[in-house]
Amino acid sequence: MLEFDGLHKSFGGNRVLDGVGFTVAPGSMFGFCGSNGAGKTTAMRIAMGLVRADAGEVRWRGSVLDQGLRRRIGYMPEERGLYPKMKVGEQVAYFARLHGLDGAAASSAADEWVERLGLAARRGDPVEKLSLGNQQRVQLAAALVSRPEVLILDEPFSGLDPIGVDSLAEALLGQARAGVPVIFSSHQLDLVERLCDSVGILARGRMVATGSVEELRRRGAGRLLRVVVPDAAPHWATTVPGVRVVSEQAGDTVLELVDGGDDQAVLAAALRTGRVTHFAWQQPTLVELFREAVAVPTPQEVAA
Amino acid sequence: MSEPRSLSSASMIRLVAAREISARLRDKNFIISSVVILVLLIGTLALQVALDSGGETTRVGVVGEAGDLRPALTAQGEALGVDVTVTRHADEAAARRAVEDGDVDGAVLAAGEAPRLLVEDESGGSLQAVVQGAVAQLALAEQLAAAGITDLDVPEVEVTALDPDADQEGQRVVAAIIGAGLLYGLLILFGQFIAQGVVEEKASRVVELLLATMKPWQLLAGKILGLGVLGLAQIVVVAVVGVAGAIAFDVVDIPGELVGTAVSVVLWFVLAYAFYAAIFAVAASLVSRQEDLGTVLMPTTLVLVAAFVVGIQAAADPDGALARVTSLVPGLSPLVMPVRQAAGEVAAWEVGLAVVLMLVAVALIVRLGGRIYAGALLRTGGKVTMREALKAERG
Repeated sequence: MLEFDGLHKSFGGNRVLDGVGFTVAPGSMFGFCGSNGAGKTTAMRIAMGLVRADAGEVRWRGSVLDQGLRRRIGYMPEERGLYPKMKVGEQVAYFARLHGLDGAAASSAADEWVERLGLAARRGDPVEKLSLGNQQRVQLAAALVSRPEVLILDEPFSGLDPIGVDSLAEALLGQARAGVPVIFSSHQLDLVERLCDSVGILARGRMVATGSVEELRRRGAGRLLRVVVPDAAPHWATTVPGVRVVSEQAGDTVLELVDGGDDQAVLAAALRTGRVTHFAWQQPTLVELFREAVAVPTPQEVAA
Repeated sequence: MSEPRSLSSASMIRLVAAREISARLRDKNFIISSVVILVLLIGTLALQVALDSGGETTRVGVVGEAGDLRPALTAQGEALGVDVTVTRHADEAAARRAVEDGDVDGAVLAAGEAPRLLVEDESGGSLQAVVQGAVAQLALAEQLAAAGITDLDVPEVEVTALDPDADQEGQRVVAAIIGAGLLYGLLILFGQFIAQGVVEEKASRVVELLLATMKPWQLLAGKILGLGVLGLAQIVVVAVVGVAGAIAFDVVDIPGELVGTAVSVVLWFVLAYAFYAAIFAVAASLVSRQEDLGTVLMPTTLVLVAAFVVGIQAAADPDGALARVTSLVPGLSPLVMPVRQAAGEVAAWEVGLAVVLMLVAVALIVRLGGRIYAGALLRTGGKVTMREALKAERG
């Protein structure tokens, strides 16, 4: 387990993290969401030892991360960083060596990753000559080359075209399938929803929601029911007890069931109006869950 | 693929140093600057040789056995401070040809009653003086012998030099000044390299990735050591080429002393490099763009310039108060002390004290500077003040 436990951090008077905690199981992918400036980068930098936490710790397999354990983590910082004048192959091999591979292993691993990420033809070029997308691939190669036990990636998908997104997603899924816990932050919530086993939403320095997307949906306050009744008169649902009409447009009605509301009673009322062409619980997207989680201050902390 | 292993600080530093070296060796600026330094050095030597050529050899031809004329010519040359080589020619025609071809500067014909000096266009002053002196001496000896005086007792002048080492000391001082100039140039050059390297890592943000695997002091140490090895190699090459060249071209009379001065310059380089490299690296860590480097490096560069100027001054007045004090001040001492050592008497305790003070200063700078460096590395954007950097490091 990779555990973030009770992280606190203030910069001057600005409290950035106020007890952030969550766990990521080996082989699972964790999507780290939050508004800009919510503290995702700070939490990741604490894990990498780049920022010192005021309190709390990050553990991998039960031991607090130190310099030695951190070398087993593949890291991609939010601000991409590579030596601009160093050649692609040598650069990747250098990072492999910094992570503890010996000379021969480092260069063969570098060759392998450069090849796998489709950069074989650019191996001898300095990084600054590459397009931004390709530089991003080199960055990923630098994070993956040492066969890390853990991956921590800050906004890995930003700036990639759809094909780049797909190949990065594929690479990350491959790592997760191999048993590596993967944490990545992203604003592309559709991507997080598609890829991640679990999601954490950070707001105001706290985790306001963690769990699988499914769990978040179930936990979501106010479940929405969409009923399409083309023949119904307007306001057909207002009389059903325990129901609040969220929207209604030419029979396409979205209802929220409040205390004691019964979906079967709604169905019966709908059938009484005539044809029912659609009747289903509406799945909130992660975007909706996110808006809700970030907007409403939830006092209880969802800590690990 | 073998499993990754844990890395000691030493191997981390070695990795960083090796990257610095290989990156520099491929850097055109580094190669050009190295070549320029060597060319300058060889140029200086060549100039020295050209200036020294006042003592050029004078070649004189004689015809036949020429009897006592040959030793007389050589002896006269010695007396006048001219190197004389005497060439023998079979007959007058051969001598004439030699003069025409420029094989000899002049030929002495028909020694005896009416000696003639044959030259191409005009006889140089020294050539004529040598021949005139030799002929006169021979004639005098012959006439004295004819008069029956063979054992002439001429009192020899005894020479007492008031400052027998003056010439050698001059050479030592010149060597030390060249050494100080070299030290100054290399310190500025390598200081710039270090500073640019630090800013490059900060500007390209690669430093965040590096610091995820190592501690700031390991990165700093690796950079300083890597470039230091190159700097040391460069100054050693320059010293060896310079000393060997000076000895080979006969620019100096005292190879031993020259070697001593060169060694002391190289040793002072090591200390001065550690001092200035750390300062330059720490100063550079405060900014994020190459354009901003000038402002943060300026104060240190000025100190170096001042040290160089004081060092030159110390050559003229090695025991003056200014030279004595500055040769102990850390940062200034590496450029002043070697000059003082060459130009005058320096007590061993003074050298020892200067070295100890320098070592203490280096230790302090590495300690304090390391903290500033660590605090400033991850703060990008504008210029970070030292106070902010220290605070960030503690936070």
